[in-house]
Amino acid sequence: MSGSPSSPRVADHRPAGLAALGDAWLAFWFTAADPRPLAAVRMLTGLLGLALAASYAADLETWFGPGGMIPPSDSGRTTPTVSLFAVASSSLALKTLFGALVAAFVAVTFGLASRLACPVAAVLWAALLNRGPVLAGPADDCLAVLLWCLAVGPSGVVWSLDRWIGGRRGAPPPAPSPWARVALGLVRVHAVAITAGMLLAQLKGDVWWDGTAAWWLAARSQSRLVDLTGVFRGSEYLMNLVTHAIVGFEILFAGGLWFDATRRLVARAGIVAWPLIGVLAGEPFWGLAMAIFCVPDGWGGDPSGYHR
Amino acid sequence: MAMASVVLAVYLVGLLLAMAGNTVSGSSTLVTTIKQRLFSPWMGPAWLDLGFDHPLTYGLPEDADHGLEVRRFEREGDPLRLPGDRTGERAARWRRLARRIASAASEETAVPLAAGVGQGAFEAMGEADVSVRAVRWPLEERAAPPQAPRPVKPYEARVRRIDGEIQLIELGGAAKRGELAPVLRDQPAGGDTADEETAP
Repeated sequence: MSGSPSSPRVADHRPAGLAALGDAWLAFWFTAADPRPLAAVRMLTGLLGLALAASYAADLETWFGPGGMIPPSDSGRTTPTVSLFAVASSSLALKTLFGALVAAFVAVTFGLASRLACPVAAVLWAALLNRGPVLAGPADDCLAVLLWCLAVGPSGVVWSLDRWIGGRRGAPPPAPSPWARVALGLVRVHAVAITAGMLLAQLKGDVWWDGTAAWWLAARSQSRLVDLTGVFRGSEYLMNLVTHAIVGFEILFAGGLWFDATRRLVARAGIVAWPLIGVLAGEPFWGLAMAIFCVPDGWGGDPSGYHR
Repeated sequence: MAMASVVLAVYLVGLLLAMAGNTVSGSSTLVTTIKQRLFSPWMGPAWLDLGFDHPLTYGLPEDADHGLEVRRFEREGDPLRLPGDRTGERAARWRRLARRIASAASEETAVPLAAGVGQGAFEAMGEADVSVRAVRWPLEERAAPPQAPRPVKPYEARVRRIDGEIQLIELGGAAKRGELAPVLRDQPAGGDTADEETAP
């Protein structure tokens, strides 16, 4: 990668609109960025990966082992995909692959061989999900996206064992990197895409218009984390308010991340709001995953580094 | 930067098509064809062919909690309940499996999944002839008096192994269909769950 969006140009014959679009594209994707927010995303993503992997561990053989409950040809997706975990036909091979995944998550968390660990974790996590798509939930989707974003950027150059080892060898502190910007840009784009996808799906359902969605989330007797049915029975207005607040927050979040004036505010609101929505929806890990997407844009560090 | 820009642009197009092509509302033939031919072959294995259409709830019966029960067929004994006493995301994965079996009335997924669950439970049940039930705890109506919902049984099948071959016989539920020969129709077996859905 060479050059900079701010480099002087001798002659620019592009139409003004196209030039502005090109400059905005270059500035968004390739302005060198502080790698620390990406390192924070890496550590949190590693921890999330370990938590979600733990939810597979105890039932791994029951699902995917020889004679397991999930057939290798599980048609949970429209495009069947061969998975490394489907190739693991023995119990030992299955445990070895899963152990490699857990080791990759540990390495991601602590920033050990990050340039290798992040893509390896992404590949193995995708393979595990493809082995049993029917078991995968929204938190798993978010984790896969986060891992691929980390695989693009230099997430292990700070706050990592890689940096600690490099520092002992006299390596200089890392400089802002365009690839950090690419990775952080992808994190933001996906935060908006996930929110927009969810918003569009919600607006197709009557319950998100008539204000009763919060009730139906709370009415899941087996999986709810907090029982708010008594509160919502007592106040229809409160139930409506919670429902509309979720939709309203999603609209503000998906739009607000694109504007300098609102970005940090909505991102910080997201760090609080997404886990709360996750708890209400009975999907706490999904809520935490969405909060991780908010970390870079809610970052409080040096404005000259990440935020333009 | 030019190469990276091209790669990013291609990926963003793929992301857009993945979202447009993976919605609960379906997608156009054009979008489906482009996505399936150009993007799904590499986005699918990477688990990036995602629609992100997660509405949290539509208040439908399918949005309720689900579980699985495996019993020795027409014999006494405690059923194997899944997720049972499991909690958190581990339990959520079993609920997703049960929901897929219960809600797959128009898909071809219920039969192989139910057969897989039955087969996988043979060892735990100590018998190669079991019934697999998907159970659903209906969503409580807000206007109704508070009470623990009584589970209903949207799907039930008998799974057995005869001469090394797995057979599935559907016994009841909305997802009945002819699959995995020989499939025999039978009356629903007795149990402590209701046969018909009563959820809103």
